[in-house]
Amino acid sequence: MEHEAAQLEKQHVHSVYENTAAYFNDLQSKAWPRVRNFLLEQKPGSLVADIGCGTGKYLSVNSQVYNLGCDYCGPLVEIARKRGDEVLVCDNLNLPFRDQCFNAVISIGVIHHFSTKQRRIKAIKEMARVLIPGGQMMIYVWAMEQKNRRFEKQDVFVPWNKALCSRHFSESSQSGDKGEFVHAVKSRDVHPAQLVISDCSYQTSLQPETDPKHSHNTDHCLSRACCMKISEEENRFYSALGRSFRSWFFSRSLDESALRKQTDKTKPPKNAGEWANSTLPIQHSRRCSLDLGHHGALLKEQSLDDDDVFVESLPLKKTQWSPAIDALKDLSLNGGHQSVARGRSEEASFMNGPAEDRDYSCGCNKDGAGKSNASKFFKRTSTADSTDSALDSAVSVGDQTDATLDAQAFMRYYHVFREGELCSLVEENVPELQILSSCYDHGNWCIVAEKRG
Amino acid sequence: PPKKKLGHPSELPPEPAPDYEGDESFLRRVHHVLLEVEVLEGVLQCPDSGRRFPISRGIPNMLLSEEE
Repeated sequence: MEHEAAQLEKQHVHSVYENTAAYFNDLQSKAWPRVRNFLLEQKPGSLVADIGCGTGKYLSVNSQVYNLGCDYCGPLVEIARKRGDEVLVCDNLNLPFRDQCFNAVISIGVIHHFSTKQRRIKAIKEMARVLIPGGQMMIYVWAMEQKNRRFEKQDVFVPWNKALCSRHFSESSQSGDKGEFVHAVKSRDVHPAQLVISDCSYQTSLQPETDPKHSHNTDHCLSRACCMKISEEENRFYSALGRSFRSWFFSRSLDESALRKQTDKTKPPKNAGEWANSTLPIQHSRRCSLDLGHHGALLKEQSLDDDDVFVESLPLKKTQWSPAIDALKDLSLNGGHQSVARGRSEEASFMNGPAEDRDYSCGCNKDGAGKSNASKFFKRTSTADSTDSALDSAVSVGDQTDATLDAQAFMRYYHVFREGELCSLVEENVPELQILSSCYDHGNWCIVAEKRG
Repeated sequence: PPKKKLGHPSELPPEPAPDYEGDESFLRRVHHVLLEVEVLEGVLQCPDSGRRFPISRGIPNMLLSEEE
């Protein structure tokens, strides 16, 4: 299981970040205010570690403390290093630091990439180990419950569309839709872990970006690789794709798989029926009421202006559906657990993050016309295969297609957390930590805990 | 922080003296080594295991291999 878990993370976390690091731009990702405040509250002269620092956006928040960042991904820390941050490459599960040497530790958007509960616990225990008694740690993880919607499963793959950032795009002219779209996007903050595919597709300014601070649409603009010319046709395809593509797929949890393996070795292929009947990820649009139980109350308190892990959707013009649908018809998926997606001609969200899945048929069924035009571009297949690894049951989108979409190569694995799950994980498994506070922030569950002693 | 051993053994004692906090000259040298010296290419060596970790372009790589 350990090996499987490490392999899954290697392919669907580390490799993705390594390959896409070049496209990150710090301007794109804002520091969460709550994290900033946590850092700013640390006493001058403190030693603070950012475990999973990425490009290091938190390393320069508080210049009165000594900030040390580390990340598994070399290319990402190179970016931080260039800005003068002190960083190193290491593994959260084996931190190369002495016991009790940091005054504070942050872990922002990291733990959710570990594919088993045991590894998530180990990551937290490692961070607790290097904290001095009385020192505090802040942890942010993606929440299953997002504003107005939620993931249906906790273990998901989120695609990263490499093709949109490819340097192979040809020259092109501007497309009329862009202005409107980009304008709308600009007003939104983007979750740091999220690649905004549509930004790529809308970058038609022809100058290669030499000034990292150029203002034209750079709030969400990826680095220079993004400001490329792309052909008109590709642009339409990707914009439609971006808007409509239900950008995440489910995986079976590795923990669950292991359990099932023990109890359930000779399961007959009635799996096919099970999967078909099991929760089709039917997500409700914002206009529908969500059954979140008592969680709904929590989320309603969030202001609608709050930033979110999602980028808000835009109305999708019907005419732009066709290129997307036609192209996606060619995508064939092999093996494993796949999700059914149906297009809607309105209000599909395009995002490459924990997108709410409006492509699924909504209970309110507001747009029958849209549904009839859309085609199923994924097929749900049975998981009667004996292998239980999440990796095997993940969606693989083909190289057998003509589409330049390379979703398979860059599917990021996330274990999204339910309300209370992070707290329980710590309370039950990390006795050296005492939870001081916990809250929901921008689509994340956040806790602050103190090292006992 | 990872233990470092620079090629300047004469500049720093192996252990801080008990009253190091008042020893300004010592503090200056430590400050220099810790905050003003950057290793761009080099190696960090674990004093216990002898395992060497490379530093490249100013970034140490502390990952262990699968077997370790």
